Amino acid sequence: MAKQTQDHEIVTDSATAAAPRESRAWLWSLGLGVVILAVIGLVPLTGDQSALSLWTFIVMYCVLAQSWNLIGGFAGRAAFGNVAFFGIGAYTVALLLERNQSYWLGLVLAPVIAGLFAFLLGLPVLRLRGHYFGIATLGVAEALGQVIQSKNVGAPSGEISLTPPSLNFHISNALFFYGFLALSLVTLLGTTSLSRSRFGYALVAIRENEQAAEALGIATYWYKVGAFVLSALPTALAGGLFAYWQLSFDPVGEGGAFDVTISVAMILMTVLGGAGTILGPILGAIIIEYLDQYTSTAFTTIHGPLLGALIVLVTIFLPQGLVRLVQELVRAPAGVKQSYPMRVRQGVQRVTRFLASNGI
Amino acid sequence: MAQYVVNWILLGCFYAAIGLGFSLIWGIMNIVNLAQGSLVILGAYVAYWSYSTLHLNPFLGILTAMVVLFCIGYTIQYLAINRVIRAPILVTFMMTFGLALLISNLLQAFFTGGYRAINTPYSSAGMTLLGARIPLLNVAVAAIAVVLTALLSLFLSRTRIGNAILAVGMDRDAARLMGVSLARTYALTFGIGAALAGAAGGMLAMTLQFSPIFTGQYTLFAFVIVALGGLGTPWAALAGGLLFALAEVFGPLIPGVGFGLDTAIAFAVLVLVLILRPNGLLGRPFYA
Repeated sequence: MAKQTQDHEIVTDSATAAAPRESRAWLWSLGLGVVILAVIGLVPLTGDQSALSLWTFIVMYCVLAQSWNLIGGFAGRAAFGNVAFFGIGAYTVALLLERNQSYWLGLVLAPVIAGLFAFLLGLPVLRLRGHYFGIATLGVAEALGQVIQSKNVGAPSGEISLTPPSLNFHISNALFFYGFLALSLVTLLGTTSLSRSRFGYALVAIRENEQAAEALGIATYWYKVGAFVLSALPTALAGGLFAYWQLSFDPVGEGGAFDVTISVAMILMTVLGGAGTILGPILGAIIIEYLDQYTSTAFTTIHGPLLGALIVLVTIFLPQGLVRLVQELVRAPAGVKQSYPMRVRQGVQRVTRFLASNGI
Repeated sequence: MAQYVVNWILLGCFYAAIGLGFSLIWGIMNIVNLAQGSLVILGAYVAYWSYSTLHLNPFLGILTAMVVLFCIGYTIQYLAINRVIRAPILVTFMMTFGLALLISNLLQAFFTGGYRAINTPYSSAGMTLLGARIPLLNVAVAAIAVVLTALLSLFLSRTRIGNAILAVGMDRDAARLMGVSLARTYALTFGIGAALAGAAGGMLAMTLQFSPIFTGQYTLFAFVIVALGGLGTPWAALAGGLLFALAEVFGPLIPGVGFGLDTAIAFAVLVLVLILRPNGLLGRPFYA
């Protein structure tokens, strides 16, 4: 992660030669993100129900990866239990619907409860370092699912089954799709403005060197709690949408609302796309969820091992993600004029250094 | 009550075996090996296979599992984990999770998700003491776990290779300057850690049912055991195992808790200990 400081040095060194230009990377990312989401928004117009279901899952994972990116990408905490917020959102909505309350009330309460939970959970666990934080969050998510299952919350074994909304099936599916899409867009805008704000810079400082950040006067603990709560909000909303869209789900196990593989998917998608970048989680979610769904129908038996092998390869060769790979390729030293072939050659050099760079 | 105490001690020693390899890998390489549970179950299958196909004594099955798992662990570290050893913890977390997914899904594909166990003519042998039934097989397993802990401790402190492993754990750059090969020492460490997981798997196959669906559960158990005991020494894993078993055996007796909450109890205890004693019960700054 020395790259950040290196960039910084280059800018200050060349400050006398040329006025330091503000990086426009964020504008590119935001623009591309909006275009990608807009194109995805055309899917319901095709009228293909299975494609719609696939892309609803993809956009849902976009939201989950984007919100995990706040605590895991920007603040660099190994949060392994964000599925807890998803499950809390799903069960808040489901329990209210079972009591004939309004769906909208559920959608309002889901992020409130999950946010409060994230705050209260974050207070102790964000004091833990590194691995301990990761496993504590993982454990809390697992334990929540287990409590709901064994205490029969909502239904025997927590197996929720809701009455469908009184709407045409196709229309309601399209509405849930656009709900997830709108949520993803809002999260994209939020992440972009965050990445350029004091709060975002503080999180990056914490990720790069927590002690140095503390020494600079950043209240690191409270910034981490803030990022944790912030990452819980869209996740819980996505859980709320998921609950009424899917209608029936279990607390634990495959496809469950507290399924730990959802946590892992968020992380894998963000890491593949680029943790701490604006566009990364969206790209990662699209690639991985598409591949996952494709392989699970085309190669059912080897689908699981395939996903495992993919994770291993991504962590070896792309530990910093696709977006950073492209950035590394196109990055030009500030204030130095170079011929085009020269820039390409240097870009390729940087990329080869960048691949598989964490070995002994 | 005597029965609960017997169950507690026997389960605690078995849990120590689960935590032993995990604690070595974590203490030396600072890697939380999320594939540990998968390696345990893999070891259980190797032991099961050596019993049912090769008709070896189940206790020899533990040895077979250790040898096979050592080779697998050595290879995994050499080919994969060594390539991300300097990465931030999130990356090593992801890597080992990917390995866990790979191993447990392969197991599921080859052996299906059905429950298996080694049943021998003497599986149910036991004796009665103070009104408590003492299953002899579990006593043997617990004894092996304690012996393995002692052997690991002696190996690390008394042999050249063991000292090299400790040196790499304390300061890898200084160890390298002293002529220790990092790649090989790490591979050896992970190999030993995997072999210990294999031993735990062999014990599991003899005393309990197993299936690929338990892989995640045993990884969590290993983590809790090691976090409870602390990273300091192999003996810390034994302390952690006993403490964890204490919560598991006596936890459901607390009114209102009941059964079916193993994971929840485990993590409640973990979070409590982490808050009160962040280095675990026998935690020390370095592994020795």
